[in-house]
Formats: sequence, C-alpha cells, structure tokens
Amino acid sequence: MAGLRLQKLRKAFGAAQIIKGVDIDIADGEFVVFVGPSGCGKSTLLRMIAGLEDITAGDLFIGDQRCNDMEPRDRGIAMVFQSYALYPHLTVYDNMSFGLTLSKTPKAEIETRVREAARILKLEELLDRKPANLSGGQRQRVAIGRAIIRKPAVFLFDEPLSNLDAALRMDMRMEIARLHKELGATMIYVTHDQVEAMTLADKIVVLDAGKVQQIGRPIDLYKKPANRFVAGFIGSPKMNFLDVRVTGVSNGAVTVESPTVASVAIEAEGFSVGDRAVLGVRPQLLRRGQQQPGLGVIRGTVSLAERLGAETIVSLETASGERALAVIPQDEVFETGSAVEFVFEPDAAHLFAA
Amino acid sequence: MRTKRLSIGLGKTLAVAALLFWSLFPIAFIVMSSLKPGQEIFAVPPAYLFTPTFENYASLWNRWGSFFDGLLNSTIVTAGATALAVSASTCAGYVYSRNAGRFLNASVVFLIVVRLIPPIVVTLPLFPIINAMGLNDTHIVLIVLYATFFVSLGAILMRTFIDQIPRELDEAAQIDGAKPLTILLRVIVPLAAPGILAVAVFVVVFSWNEFLFAFIFTATKAKTTPLVISEMIGSIDGVDWGILFAASTVQLAPVLLFVVLMNRYLVAGLTAGATKG
Ligand SMILES: Nc1ncnc2c1ncn2[C@@H]1O[C@H](COP(=O)(O)OP(=O)(O)OP(=O)(O)O)[C@@H](O)[C@H]1O
Ligand SMILES: [Mg+2]
Repeated sequence: MAGLRLQKLRKAFGAAQIIKGVDIDIADGEFVVFVGPSGCGKSTLLRMIAGLEDITAGDLFIGDQRCNDMEPRDRGIAMVFQSYALYPHLTVYDNMSFGLTLSKTPKAEIETRVREAARILKLEELLDRKPANLSGGQRQRVAIGRAIIRKPAVFLFDEPLSNLDAALRMDMRMEIARLHKELGATMIYVTHDQVEAMTLADKIVVLDAGKVQQIGRPIDLYKKPANRFVAGFIGSPKMNFLDVRVTGVSNGAVTVESPTVASVAIEAEGFSVGDRAVLGVRPQLLRRGQQQPGLGVIRGTVSLAERLGAETIVSLETASGERALAVIPQDEVFETGSAVEFVFEPDAAHLFAA
Repeated sequence: MRTKRLSIGLGKTLAVAALLFWSLFPIAFIVMSSLKPGQEIFAVPPAYLFTPTFENYASLWNRWGSFFDGLLNSTIVTAGATALAVSASTCAGYVYSRNAGRFLNASVVFLIVVRLIPPIVVTLPLFPIINAMGLNDTHIVLIVLYATFFVSLGAILMRTFIDQIPRELDEAAQIDGAKPLTILLRVIVPLAAPGILAVAVFVVVFSWNEFLFAFIFTATKAKTTPLVISEMIGSIDGVDWGILFAASTVQLAPVLLFVVLMNRYLVAGLTAGATKG
C-alpha cells in the first residue's frame, strides 16, 4: 500500500508544454479522480505516474520512493486502459497471469491468484475464452482482473468505462467502488463523466491546460468552486454565468446588479465598487417566484421549456441576450416567449472576477 | 438484365479459366512429362492419355546423385536464409513501428533505395571479399546474401503489420513487467504471425529457385538444385528430357506445397485480424 506525492511535475513533448507544474498529495488508500476537458493532460499525467511517459521535471514519489527513473514494473502500479489492451492471442486466464508468469511466480500460486481474481470479478466461466469472444463489459472485467492479480499498491484507470453503454457503466461503476473498498488500494481514475467523478472520488483533481485548478472532496468542489473554470466544469447542467457590476462592498458581502439581475448581496471578497464581475448560479437553485427581500432575481423570457415529467428544464433569454438554464424539480408549464422571474438564495450563488 | 448478368458471369469464368491455364499449364506440362516414357514427351500431337511410368524418377536417382545433394543444400540455404531474413525483418519492423526519429525515417528511404539497385551490381564486387574470407562455396554465403535481399522489403512489410498492433499492448506488457525482447517475442510475434509468414513465403520461394548468385558463389559443396538442373541441360551425353522433367517436378513440389499450405494460413490470418474487434 502506498500514497503518492507529485511535486512540480512537468511534461513537455518537444516544445509543447503539456503538464505545467502539478502538485498533488494522495493518501494511502485514497480514491482520486482526475477530471478536465479533453486534451488538458489527464492521460499524460496518469502515464507519467505509470512510467509510460518520461517526467520532464519535478518529482514523483510512490510511497517513500522517488520513482522518476524507475521502470513501470518496479513502481507497484497496475493500469487499466480505455481500450482494455488485452492480449488478443491469449486466453482470459493467460491474460491475467501474464505478468506473474514473467516474474516466474510458482504455478500453484498463479492458479490461486487467478481463481481469486476471477471469483471477485465473476469471470470463472470465461477463463478459457479469448478476448475476441467476450462482451465489452467482460473484457473490461478481465482488464481489471489483470490489474488486481499484480496486487499493486496503486491502481491507475484511464477512462475505463467510456466504451461501455450506460447501463453497464453504472454496474461497473459500482463494481469499481466495491473493489476499492475490498482491496483498500490507492486508486487514480481519469474520467470525463461527472457522475463517475462525484460518486467514486474521495478527492477530485480538476485539471485545465496542464495545471491543477482545484483539489478537494467532490461536494466541496460543487459547493465551493475555487474559480469560474471549476464552477463551470463540475455540475450538470453547467452553472449559469451572468455579467454583473459591483455596486456596493461591505464586510464580506458584495452587492451586484445588472439590467437582468436585481441588486443582490453575495458573500465574496476582493471586489471593489465599479468592478465588473460574473455571477454564478446553478440551474437547480433557480425557481419561479416574486422578488422579495433577501432573494436574488433573474429576469428574462422563456426560449424553451422541456418537460421531462419529473423535472422541467427551462431556457431563459435575458434582455441583454445572455442565456440561463433553470432545472425545476417538478412538472410545471412555462409558455415559450413569456416573461418570467426566477429567484435564488444568494448564499448558494458565487461571484467570480470577470 | 438477366442476359447481362449471365454474360458478366461468363466473362468472369472465362477470365479465371484463362488465368488458371496461364499459370497452371507449365506446371501440369512438367509434371505430366515427367511421368511419360522419354520418346512420348515431345510427340505431336501430344498424348493426353498415357500410362504413367516412374522410370524417369528411377534414372534420376541412379544417374544424378548430385541432384539429391543439391536438394539438401537448397533446403539448408532456404531454411537458413528464411530464418535470418524473418528474424531480422521482424526486429527491424518492430523498431521502425514503435520509434520515430529523423535517423530512422531516413534509413527507411535508404532501405527502399537500396532495393532499387540491381543486386548483381553490389554482389559482383563481393566476390573477392568472400573469397578472401574463405566463404566461397559455403552455405553461409548464400544464406546471408539471400536474407540480405529481403531484409529491406521484409522490414517495411513487418512495420506495416506491427503498426496495426495497438501500442497499448506493448504498454500493458511493459507494466506487466516485460522487457522489450519479451514484448517482441510474447506479444508482437504471435500477433504479427501473418506478416511473418508473408515475408517467409517471399524468401522461401526466392531462395529455393535462385540461380545466378548460387552460380557465382558456389561450385561443388554448397551447390543448390537449380544449378544441378542446369547441368542436366548442358550434359555432354545430350539432354535426357525425361530425367530433366522428373528433376524439375521434384524441385517444384516442396515450394508449391509450402505456398499452398501457407496461403491457407495467410488468408486465415488476415480475416482473423479483421474481426478481432
Ligand atoms: N506523444 C505525444 N506527443 C506530442 N503531444 C502529445 C503526445 N501525447 C499527448 N500529447 C498532447 O498532450 C495533450 C494532452 O493529452 P492527453 O492525452 O493527456 O489529454 P487528456 O486530458 O487525456 O484528453 P482526453 O480527455 O481527450 O483523453 C494533448 O494536447 C495532446 O495532443
Ligand atoms: Mg485521455
């Protein structure tokens, strides 16, 4: 078992800087999820930890050992690839035992470990099959099995579920959560999927353009995003952003307004009167209502209302042409083109620098 | 419509028949002639129905012992050249496929350019060198020469095959603890087997039939079958066509068999790759 320490890690491919100084501490047994837009360097960072990519600068510690120049096989890691990367010419059994065979583990011990992994992953019936004769979900389980067998201190997953359909994804997600509990190993998991990130992670690392934007517990990232990028990235549908102007500042509260947004006081710091700012309100916070003291108000016209039965998703267009989305947790009728006012609790709103 | 389709079908059949006739007639002619008594071989009109006889094969065995020595030499040279060319091509193809760099890219161009030079131009100057090394009239010289001719083409062919094997497999094996040579032998080679067989077919057919270089570099000890057959034609007591055709049939059979067998593997290998998914 081992924790990890990434210190000022950098990666350049030729002249292109891809990872620009990343610091992350990962505790032993923690489940850490890397999220970020496509091309931000999640896979590159994971591959640097695995040893598949050289580290340009900085230090990587796994446990107490500096691993920058260590071969992948010596790092005590196992990796599950997005494409599964099963050996097509080998049976499930041989796929899983490949590494142990190379390290000359006694046959009996290999057998025990393969059976054990197969039991955990419900692969017992499939041990003699070749990967070509498995379904996507089964292949994924074999890939995880191949990782488990190595008894690694750290598991690395690169979007392991993105090739599966929605139902299977949910099953596998729960399977991975169960596995983490059962094995107690450190896991680092790259994904695009909000739900995977929120449900699996002890800690989420949000990356953008090769830099860490925020690290924290899922719920903290959701409730207290450090900046506009994180606010827009975590949560679905995306947080609404509206341009506002600061009209007043008093201890800890900033009053803002715009032609669209009625004057409202938000908890924030570092703004002064006259500044332009961006107000962030999650779609789920908005509800139809009348202006009253202590509530924020957004005015506009309904451009689209989608009735999904359990909820209603309303697109709002403001007079200045900005767009906002409201998710109403019940079935409600909104007429397209009609004027509406949505209210929100200012406590849950965010203010960012423009 | 119907007549059109019919005529297309007919055209196809005719084309295939013509192709088959074109490629199979010489083979059939040689094999049939080898089974005829000497005086019937060039009878006009040719006899299509005849009682087969093995007397030509008996005479071949009795009068041309050197032919069978030649077969042994050919086998050694072909096996050696094929093993050498296939191993070198696979290693080179692997390196080309998994690495990039200006030097490597330039060397691919060089491989192609080298192939464009007529081999004889490079080979003749080798004669004194090989003499000096005492390699004249040995199997080694033919093995190395034949293999060399195919390593450039073979390396490029193998690179194309290995390019189709996902790199993640190498990486998975690397994490599983495999070193480069292990990855090559345990992951790449099994998956690139169709490509390896394709290269092998080229080298086998070439090495087995090659005449000119064998003629230049061997005299007696390492003489291959094509040389012995040519001696039969230049024989002082006149050409015995029956024996010649018998020898040709024996020379032809193994390669023909090899290509037919491998062809089945090649086709199987290609379709297996296509549906691997
Ligand atoms: N071998 C390489 N040579 C040059 N550039 C590379 C190489 N590998 C990755 N990159 C670049 O590094 C950047 C980050 O790539 P990476 O694969 O880490 O992104 P990612 O965050 O995993 O994206 P995705 O979510 O699409 O998988 C990309 O701009 C990519 O083009
Ligand atoms: Mg990626």
